[in-house]
Amino acid sequence: MAWILRRIGVSLILAWLVASIVFMTLHLVPGDPAELLLSTGGIMPDPGAVAELRDRLGLNDPLLVQYGGFLRGLTRGDLGNSLIDDYPVLAEVALRLPRTLELIFAGAILAIVVALPAGTYAALHRGGAFDRVASGLAALLLAVPVFVVGTLLILMLAQWLRVMPAGGYVPFADNPGRHLALLALPALTIAKGLAAVLFRMTRASVLDALSRDHVRTARAKGLTPRGVLVRHVVRNALIPVLTVLGLHMGTLLGGTVLVEYVFNWPGLSTPLLRAVEARDYPMVVGIVLTISGLFLLINLIMDLLYAALDPRIRAA
Amino acid sequence: MKRLIVPGTLVGLILLAALAAPLLPLTDPIRQDIMHRLAGPLPGSPLGRDEFGRDVLSRLIWGARTSLGVAFASALIAGIFGTLLGLIGGWFRGLGELLAVRSMDVILCFPPVLLALLVVTLMGPGAGTLILVLSVLYLPGFVRVTYAEVLSARSHDYVEAVRALGAPAPRILLRTVLPNVAGPVLVQLSLAVASAVVLESGLSFLGLGVVPPAPSWGLMIRGARATMDQAPMLLFWPCAVLTLTILAMNLLCDALRDAVDPRTSGPRPRLRAVDRLLPGLLPRRDATPESVLDVQGLTVEIDTPRGPIRPVQEVSFNVRAGETVAIVGESGSGKSVSTTALMGLLPPVARVVNGEAWFGETELLRLPEPEMRKLRGGRMAMVFQDPMSSLNPVYRTGAQVAEAIQAHQRVSAEAAWKQAEGLFRRVGIADPERRMRAYPHEMSGGMRQRVMIAMALANRPHLLICDEPTTALDVTVQAQILDLLAELQRETGTAIVFITHSLGVVAEIAQRVVVMYAGQVVEQGSVAEVFHDPLHPYTRALLAAVPEGETQPSGIPGVVPPPHAFPEGCRFAPRCAHAIPACSAAPLALDMAAPGRAVRCIRWTELAHPKEEVPA
Repeated sequence: MAWILRRIGVSLILAWLVASIVFMTLHLVPGDPAELLLSTGGIMPDPGAVAELRDRLGLNDPLLVQYGGFLRGLTRGDLGNSLIDDYPVLAEVALRLPRTLELIFAGAILAIVVALPAGTYAALHRGGAFDRVASGLAALLLAVPVFVVGTLLILMLAQWLRVMPAGGYVPFADNPGRHLALLALPALTIAKGLAAVLFRMTRASVLDALSRDHVRTARAKGLTPRGVLVRHVVRNALIPVLTVLGLHMGTLLGGTVLVEYVFNWPGLSTPLLRAVEARDYPMVVGIVLTISGLFLLINLIMDLLYAALDPRIRAA
Repeated sequence: MKRLIVPGTLVGLILLAALAAPLLPLTDPIRQDIMHRLAGPLPGSPLGRDEFGRDVLSRLIWGARTSLGVAFASALIAGIFGTLLGLIGGWFRGLGELLAVRSMDVILCFPPVLLALLVVTLMGPGAGTLILVLSVLYLPGFVRVTYAEVLSARSHDYVEAVRALGAPAPRILLRTVLPNVAGPVLVQLSLAVASAVVLESGLSFLGLGVVPPAPSWGLMIRGARATMDQAPMLLFWPCAVLTLTILAMNLLCDALRDAVDPRTSGPRPRLRAVDRLLPGLLPRRDATPESVLDVQGLTVEIDTPRGPIRPVQEVSFNVRAGETVAIVGESGSGKSVSTTALMGLLPPVARVVNGEAWFGETELLRLPEPEMRKLRGGRMAMVFQDPMSSLNPVYRTGAQVAEAIQAHQRVSAEAAWKQAEGLFRRVGIADPERRMRAYPHEMSGGMRQRVMIAMALANRPHLLICDEPTTALDVTVQAQILDLLAELQRETGTAIVFITHSLGVVAEIAQRVVVMYAGQVVEQGSVAEVFHDPLHPYTRALLAAVPEGETQPSGIPGVVPPPHAFPEGCRFAPRCAHAIPACSAAPLALDMAAPGRAVRCIRWTELAHPKEEVPA
């Protein structure tokens, strides 16, 4: 119990650090941030506009006052308003976050369902045909960037074969079938990288677990091969896989931005990319904080799962 | 090293193309030619033209220059600063460590693409922004690697020695630490470059990386998306080049990591289908009636990259009911491999190539696995050397014992748990209800070994194989465990095979002893006879090596040779004080010196009567 509280405490501190760094980025960049945000291609912006932006971003206040206001806003869930249309950032995030979560969730499930059994099987039959084909495929999948996979999937399945929609979004309530059809390709694209990573980790972890003394003990007890595999190999092998999985979530979340863009999936990345292009700073900060917070949360959950699986951690 | 060649060459070629771009006879990659928009192969443009009529081949090669330039620049900057921070953090510890190393954890809290987008918002897109962001992103990797190396280098004696001599810190770091860091940093560098190529192309694809019209693979894919229906090849080329580059870099990273980290390197033997001989192929032999276990000519072979080796050769011994037989020998003598083979627990690379082992009416070495499984943990059980690693760390100890019961008896979980409680009590664990709920790491070494013994006894075995069960324990705990085993044997009449390298333990627990050296039995007999009148020079040397009263123990010079270097003749000859040329001439047979007494030495008769020995 004490361990769980401590781990949650660490997550809160990390969240605070992340927020502080995001806050500081604006001030760490050399020059006047307002001027930077308004300048394009080295053309000096209009001084009146700069003064107005400074006022809107509260840049004229002392730094500590700004920082305090920023943190207070965060604790109240106030992420500020868009510079472009004054729309509350939180409302935009609240609308889009569930769609992004759905995509990540679908991709992760797909990856886990494929990669865990495949990795285990490959480890048990190391050097066999399946192992070699799957390992080669995993290496290839790791090398293809998500946006390349996404684009090529659209080219082949949507443009040439015309079996899948090229992209878009329909709410589940409106048309469940169409919703899932539109979800399939982006989820598959997200799953590819994660599946490759998971496959490699599972394979290595199972191989490691197989060589452990306690597996020999389990066999010496006269357990069936199935019993040894399920209780003493896979269960132990999953523990390290979980940790590494948590760390790879960062790449996965970043990849989601690209995948949503490729498939026109209206998650968080659409307003994010629009805001980056328009230099809409509060919107970018709001979305970056949301996704980073999500990343911290996923890692917290992974660590708690880890502790549930490995009693040694709870004792530490 | 061979694995480095293909990806290394490929990466080298790509780099060369990127570097040589200005020298190659290519058209200007940004010159537009609307007349030849989306044109197929033209003279001077073998891959055709893009949506603005620009030459695709030229853009691919110049794009490599942009992508790799950004990637290398950021990886190098991160490498230099990261290594420095790691050196500082590892060397000065304290505040330096906090600032240089721990602060890096925060960078890892951001998904990389998002941190990049945040900075792009502020500074606008462009190659400069990309290099800045990417170098910050890859900083933590270098810091961690260097920091870890410095910490481990600090603990080395030679670094301590140089430090004690008063050498200034920068010089120590440069001379002793940097060479060690070089390998891991190189691996990290290659990882950073590969990862930077992915990120750069991704951001450029989003239109937030390299600014058009500069050529970049990401931008080319972005542009080709709009026209993929009319000109799919336009999409194909940058995708293929990008994927190939990343694949080659990843493979290079893997190969580099293996080359730098010896733990993961080395060719792994391919698994081969376990060749299982048909049971009952050999003629049925009359088992010695009183023997619980009768091993004849056991030979184990292991496939290694250097060819097959035989760590156990022609091992024979027998164990009678209620008796304890000790197998004694140094590390590498083949004791454990022999018993592992009897239990059918050999690793897949090892196999029994010869011999028989009769366990009552059953021949163990050719028993099909399902039959063997019923015996294992049932009528024959094993206690291993290190109880910590031999118990599964994630299950309660009680559950692990109950599992052994349920593997052989059709009982409910509660009944198994109840039985396990009785076993805990029997092996002398106080407060079994509470102890059963403990995890292995919550117990002492002696307690863990008691759990292992309880597990082995769960199904009342006729034969118990103990593989150095006391080696990992304190001396006082050792004595307790030995007493426990002796007591349990008196109660149940279980036959015990006890592997050890300690003659003191042999004297305490066993009635008969088998001395093994380099995979062979060299002497065998009752403990009393062997201890009072050792026939083999090796046994004599072992006995002399035991500290006893005032006499100084004398060690045996040298070590047991590895199995691929076993001598042709007497395997002990190179270390033997009495060796003569004849010893090394040919393999020796085991001589029956007396009933129940065997020795493998051609000079044992003359050595047994020293007066007759001719001075050399």
